[in-house]
Amino acid sequence: MSLVEIRGLSKKYGDNVVLDKVDLDIEQGEVVAIIGPSGTGKSTLLRCLNLLEKPEEGTVKFDGVSFDLTKRNKKDTLALRQYTEMVFQQFNLFRQKTALENVMEGLRVVKKCSKSEAEKIALDELEKVGMSDRLYHYPRHLSGGQQQRVAIARALAMNPTLLLMDEPTSALDPELVSEVLVTIRKAAEDGNTILLVTHEMSFVKSVANKIVFLENGKIVEYGTPRDIFENPSSERLKEFLAHINMLEGAEYVI
Amino acid sequence: MTKLFDLQLVFSSIPELLKYLPTTLFLTVIAAIIGLLLGLVIAVIRMKNIPVLSQLAVAFVSVMRGTPIIVQLYISYFGIPILLQYINYYRGTEYNINAIPGIVFAMVALGLNQSAFDSETIRAALQSVDKGQIEAAKSLGMSNGQVLRRIILPEAITVALPSLGNSLIALIKGTSLAFTCSVVEITAAGKILAGRNYRFFESYCSLAIIYWVLTFALEKVVAAIEKRLQVPEQPRQVKERDAILSKM
Repeated sequence: MSLVEIRGLSKKYGDNVVLDKVDLDIEQGEVVAIIGPSGTGKSTLLRCLNLLEKPEEGTVKFDGVSFDLTKRNKKDTLALRQYTEMVFQQFNLFRQKTALENVMEGLRVVKKCSKSEAEKIALDELEKVGMSDRLYHYPRHLSGGQQQRVAIARALAMNPTLLLMDEPTSALDPELVSEVLVTIRKAAEDGNTILLVTHEMSFVKSVANKIVFLENGKIVEYGTPRDIFENPSSERLKEFLAHINMLEGAEYVI
Repeated sequence: MTKLFDLQLVFSSIPELLKYLPTTLFLTVIAAIIGLLLGLVIAVIRMKNIPVLSQLAVAFVSVMRGTPIIVQLYISYFGIPILLQYINYYRGTEYNINAIPGIVFAMVALGLNQSAFDSETIRAALQSVDKGQIEAAKSLGMSNGQVLRRIILPEAITVALPSLGNSLIALIKGTSLAFTCSVVEITAAGKILAGRNYRFFESYCSLAIIYWVLTFALEKVVAAIEKRLQVPEQPRQVKERDAILSKM
């Protein structure tokens, strides 16, 4: 049994099918990267898993506990969200709170930790992402990369079964990307299970255990970085990799 | 010729008028609370677009904003007793209309009027909080109520505060019309006192001073709260003691 089992996940916007019966298994400690052209439902897949989007069909099993994603009562939704945490493209830190308060918020309000307990966990997580010298900085005082590191600390502090990362470096200035990638790599090495949407192909290649190539709401290919980048079997994946210049030994270069 | 203007009287009658200040303040505070709470409810109803209630809220706000406050005070003063009489007649109850003090009618009218204006301010402020923070809070597993209390309101308040302060100042001055509901607050007291010596002009000057000092103080309080809630310009640095603490 896998740690996370996604079955038959389907999402439509009107007549536009965004996700078409997606099945995906994620093992404990794995980093699974989702790649693919824009508008193919990569972010939607992540957002369906914590019900920020409401899918038409699908179930997900976390650690053996099964959830019907079409059931929308508040209790189930809150229970489901305990299993995942999300890191957003736009960081989405709470603007009225300091870095420390941002990380403590979920621990205090959702997990009902005592103040000292929450503070201890938060300080620990902020230390790990290298932000312990900026505990009292508000988001507006921080650069994009620093904000994203705090956001990662906020997510990891909740000790999620699955960490969802939705293009965590896409909104960053180029020189800030690497500090966030280093943080993500560290989170992966610490044994966190991560489902990651990204366009940073060389990063995916070195960090991910499995790669999902998603197109038009379907998983076109699934495999290890070696399978995907060195032996793409479908024409579409070859085309995509050629397009982003990642196909090893491509016959043509754009 | 007698004195045309008695400057001394302007100041010497202030202590006498101040005896009625608690009535003015009480009326202001209660109407402000009714306004804020009902304003929040109306704002949420309109944001969630709840059928029927939402249309009623729009109509209510339109009517309250489109009629003068003095007319609303008269309608409250004469309308509520009529309503009670109907209830007494049809339900067989025996509410004593004369037992209701005038200040209740004034509170209702001023509170409802206030809620119409506040609801628009609150709605704009709530909508100004960006969706990303709300999604982040939900992802953490917070319930809708927790998201509203912990994330949306703290930020919305900083946005709404200047406008709410404005409307509170307008309300303080609006209470001067409460005499229409036979409430003796400072303006009514000023008129009554002036009736003894026919020094109306001096009395109104005293009132102007009191209201101005009052709103001046209020402006300062609002500005101070605003400053407190604002995210500081410069971040507080982590001191060595904190650094040691974090290593523990």
